[in-house]
Amino acid sequence: MKLLRKDYTDFWSLKTIRENREGRVNMGRLVKQKKLASVLIMLLFTAVILAGCGGGEQEGSSSGREKIIRISEANVPNIDPGVGSDYASSIALANIYDTLVFPDHNGDVKPWVATEWEISSDGLTWTFKLRKGVKFHNGDELTADDVVFSMKRMLTMGEGFAYLFTEVVDDVKALDDYTVQFKLKKPFGPFLQTLVRLYILNKDQVVANLADGPYGEMGDYGKAWLINNDAGSGPYMVKELKKQEYLYAVKFEDYWGGWDKDAPEAFKIIGTTSPSTIRTLMTRRELEITDQWQTKEALEALDKIEGVDINAAFTGTILNIMLNTKKAPTDDVHFRRALTYLFDYDTAVNNLFPGCKKTVGPISESLPGCSKDLKPFDQNLQKAKEELAKSKYAGSLDKYPVELAWIAEVPDEEKIALMLQSNAQELGIKVDVVKVPWLSFVDQIAKPESTPNASLVFVSPHYGEAGSILETRYHSKSTGTWEQCEWLQNKEIDALIEDALGTIDFEERLAKYDVIQKKIVDLAPTIWAFDQAEKRAYQADYIVWPAAERIKKGEPVTPVMGYMYYFHDFKVYPDKVPH
Amino acid sequence: MSLCRRREWGGYMKLSSYVIKRLLYSIFVLVGLSIVIFVIARVVPGDPARLALGPRAPQFAVDALREEMHLDKSLPVQYFYWIKGVVTGNFGKSLVTKRNVMEDIAEFLPATLELVLMSALFVVVFSILFGALAARYKDSWVDSLIRVMAYTGVAVPSFVLAVIFLLLFGYIWPVIPVLGRLSAGIQPPPTITGLITVDSLLTGRMDVFFDAINHLILPALALAVGPLFQEARIVRSAMTENMGKDYLAAAVGFGIPDHVITGKYLLKPSLIPAVSVMGLDIASLMSNAFLVEVIFDWPGISRYGMEAMLRKDLNAISAVIIVFGLIFVVVNIIVDLIVAYLDPRIRLGGRSS
Repeated sequence: MKLLRKDYTDFWSLKTIRENREGRVNMGRLVKQKKLASVLIMLLFTAVILAGCGGGEQEGSSSGREKIIRISEANVPNIDPGVGSDYASSIALANIYDTLVFPDHNGDVKPWVATEWEISSDGLTWTFKLRKGVKFHNGDELTADDVVFSMKRMLTMGEGFAYLFTEVVDDVKALDDYTVQFKLKKPFGPFLQTLVRLYILNKDQVVANLADGPYGEMGDYGKAWLINNDAGSGPYMVKELKKQEYLYAVKFEDYWGGWDKDAPEAFKIIGTTSPSTIRTLMTRRELEITDQWQTKEALEALDKIEGVDINAAFTGTILNIMLNTKKAPTDDVHFRRALTYLFDYDTAVNNLFPGCKKTVGPISESLPGCSKDLKPFDQNLQKAKEELAKSKYAGSLDKYPVELAWIAEVPDEEKIALMLQSNAQELGIKVDVVKVPWLSFVDQIAKPESTPNASLVFVSPHYGEAGSILETRYHSKSTGTWEQCEWLQNKEIDALIEDALGTIDFEERLAKYDVIQKKIVDLAPTIWAFDQAEKRAYQADYIVWPAAERIKKGEPVTPVMGYMYYFHDFKVYPDKVPH
Repeated sequence: MSLCRRREWGGYMKLSSYVIKRLLYSIFVLVGLSIVIFVIARVVPGDPARLALGPRAPQFAVDALREEMHLDKSLPVQYFYWIKGVVTGNFGKSLVTKRNVMEDIAEFLPATLELVLMSALFVVVFSILFGALAARYKDSWVDSLIRVMAYTGVAVPSFVLAVIFLLLFGYIWPVIPVLGRLSAGIQPPPTITGLITVDSLLTGRMDVFFDAINHLILPALALAVGPLFQEARIVRSAMTENMGKDYLAAAVGFGIPDHVITGKYLLKPSLIPAVSVMGLDIASLMSNAFLVEVIFDWPGISRYGMEAMLRKDLNAISAVIIVFGLIFVVVNIIVDLIVAYLDPRIRLGGRSS
């Protein structure tokens, strides 16, 4: 029985026996039909796949003909000027909306929609004359009412870049169609620098598109409508916004600034930074500029593509190792100074983050107002030892380990953390490196007791002047946020910062920033690891990117986030696309 | 004959009460899931309002947002507000996209559904094909080849395959589009179902249909390979096991041709374990599609959900999890029905011998 069963198990081997059975004849047709059906299904599959391949080729060859700049970013922008404030949004807003003044590459601002302005002697009243004949995308003329509306909308909603104005602007009114006046709560020197974030909306168009909302007669202030639409006067108009995919905008023919014949006719901000996708798109010339989040290795690969260059720009961002001044052992100034002396700055900028620069203090050298007297930091173990000896923790280092936190979402930071750990070991300081997810980090640093001894955080300026960094990094009011994990809470520094920001005269203000920087360096609240280069690959063969051209010549570029990508001034030559 | 009919009728009655019972259970499952995800999303550190508005946003704006989201209330009260909204189809506003979460889901769910359905097609067709082939040519080179492919396919994660496909077909041999759902310049068909392939067929736009299929192939294949080979292995082992059953020996003895034996008497019962696993696998593709969606810049719900979690977008997290839960429940019921069709013992309520 067992034997018999085994024979049956391999029943296909009985084929020859079965072939003589009569059943075969009856079932034959049915079997044939089924076979035919499965063959047909397979054919259909192959056809679909082949058809697919054909279509792909067509698309590949047609790309690059349109005069377009496509740039990748970490996310799709928020195009509501009262809401968006991240990098992608800043690029989009700079191209869709106009502002009263415009950041120029030398670090100052130039007249834009406002042609001239006057400041009262007490620094509280700022009066702007507007350019006539500036058209919104729907054809309406831009007037003082629109400026007033845009500022009030920002102040009421309090989102996006509103924080630049909520503590400064008291009131705004239109004196006539082409004159607008701001009353400030206190004198504020860098007011012009912050006005590059006051994007002017078409009041009538927004009011016509109000929905229900919490802002009284203004309903939702047009928030729902402005998610997908624009009410601007900038060189480009929104054509299509696909959340999670891209923003596509096309040229506004009637732009008051006029057009060059080679200027891009459209731009697209694509919300992806996945390295393999970016590399593929660059090779296929379906992307002109990459995002700044490509790793060192990815950039090296991109650089090898024919016609692709790497641009490195300094825009004021510094990697800070923030030392908690309210927690042992980093509450001791000598201990902190020892840390700033033992950090290996050269290895950081030469090996770990090539292309980045050493810092001279809290302010990046690319930012107007950076001190001219301070020298770049160097590792100096001798001085570190001397400072450590003066510290009250000198004899009990083993009892006071330094907790060093790096942000889990930014893996590159770990290299810096590990280097500091090994640097510190040379002097017998124990450093515990901890990886912290961003959300937990933000929670931890809300209180001085739970803030780590040292935290690695990149910080960028909010507007193009040293005062922005000084205020957000070292004024007591920013403690408890990720922009200040030092808990410096130094009354003298606070007063000096307020005084400097209240100074209207530019040179005088800069001199005051200089004093503050030296005082801060002396307090050593931070190890300023390096001045970050924003690196992006771009298609140098067929686009002209004005900021990149300036960098090649050794000239400065604007540190204001987003304005290096003012596409109106770019040029595109589709016939130069390499094959 | 009449006895048989009655028995079959009784079986169907039994099946429908079984389905109703399953549906009732599902409601409990979903309510439980909603409570769990609601609490988990809120105990994760970080104030969502502050995170959404940034470190320097004025306090009044943060407070207003907290109030709007009822974050100033106790957890049970928050849940009450939320579930009240959910019952009326309002999941609240997303902190990232700034619009109603339902709008986001209506836009992103079809994209992932389309991707997963295409993957499911690959999984079903090729797992049965490979499984049957491997069983049919057991211990031959065909079987070995499929085995090697299966081990590789199961071991390599879908996002690695996605990158390999992208580099092969987008970079080295650029024949297939690699970004998004449609090529630039192609006007999408009017939204009917949200599935571009279906909508373009309904509106007779064949060019859009082929373009959409093109964009689907690589991501769908990258997703399908893992489950496909796993199921192929299950089909093979079930088939080889059933080959030893007496009823097959009897069928051979009756002289029924091998195609019929393979297709009807061997494959059908052997599919039962594979179908059960397949259902779960296809449902989990929905949530596993995250990295593949990132690599192919696919605007799907999986990527949306993951972004929401990273940025503590409370309403979006809860809504996405509920949608996934719902899909799992529905797929499970469908799987049960298919298994019932394949296995008369369940359909007819008979006892296993």
